[in-house]
Amino acid sequence: MVVTAPLSGIAVPLHKVPDPVFAKAIVGPGVAITPNAEEQLVLAPISGRLIKLKAHAFVITGPDGHSILVHLGIDTVQLNGSDSELIATEGQLIAAGEPVARWHPERVIAAGLSPVCPVIALEASPEVISTIAEGPVVAGADLFTWE
Amino acid sequence: MGIRAAISKAGLHARPAAVFVKAVLDSGATVHVGRRDGAPVDARSIVSVLALDIQPGERLVLTGGDEELLDRLAALLEADQ
Repeated sequence: MVVTAPLSGIAVPLHKVPDPVFAKAIVGPGVAITPNAEEQLVLAPISGRLIKLKAHAFVITGPDGHSILVHLGIDTVQLNGSDSELIATEGQLIAAGEPVARWHPERVIAAGLSPVCPVIALEASPEVISTIAEGPVVAGADLFTWE
Repeated sequence: MGIRAAISKAGLHARPAAVFVKAVLDSGATVHVGRRDGAPVDARSIVSVLALDIQPGERLVLTGGDEELLDRLAALLEADQ
């Protein structure tokens, strides 16, 4: 399964995320994206059911049971949704590339938080993740492969 | 099998949920977590735990494992940042 970029920005290894739980892949393996700072749409990285949708994070479970977590910035739960407007609805089916939310990383930065977005393969071991992007990515482009 | 009430100080959003699930996995035990009035889920599954959407300060029930493990997990939940 190909996981596509939910945002445009710079793909960076997880170990550069300023949060040890993400950086040490305790949540799961994956990659992070430092977003372009202007407002942008956040796209579904895989097709499936949007099993959890919060203003700061969401999880999509694909038909094969694989789940991807996208976390919009670090410690952004404390912004109580002031940095994003939801477009999709929790529980709905969504296709890869469809918009989930409109997000304002500049508000995250203004709040003194990191806007870096971990994109995580949940309940996966590190060796199943390959062809991991690094450097500039555009929303919708291939981000990594989950075998 | 143990049973233990606990309070999730931080709520089980991504980071505290991952720390909690890792502690369960590291124990090797089968533990379930849920609200007192809800269906419990497998605490080894980060997907299931995130889907519970536990909010800061919510009361939970842990079942499975032994009392020592459940005490440790309850302490972890109550100490979460």
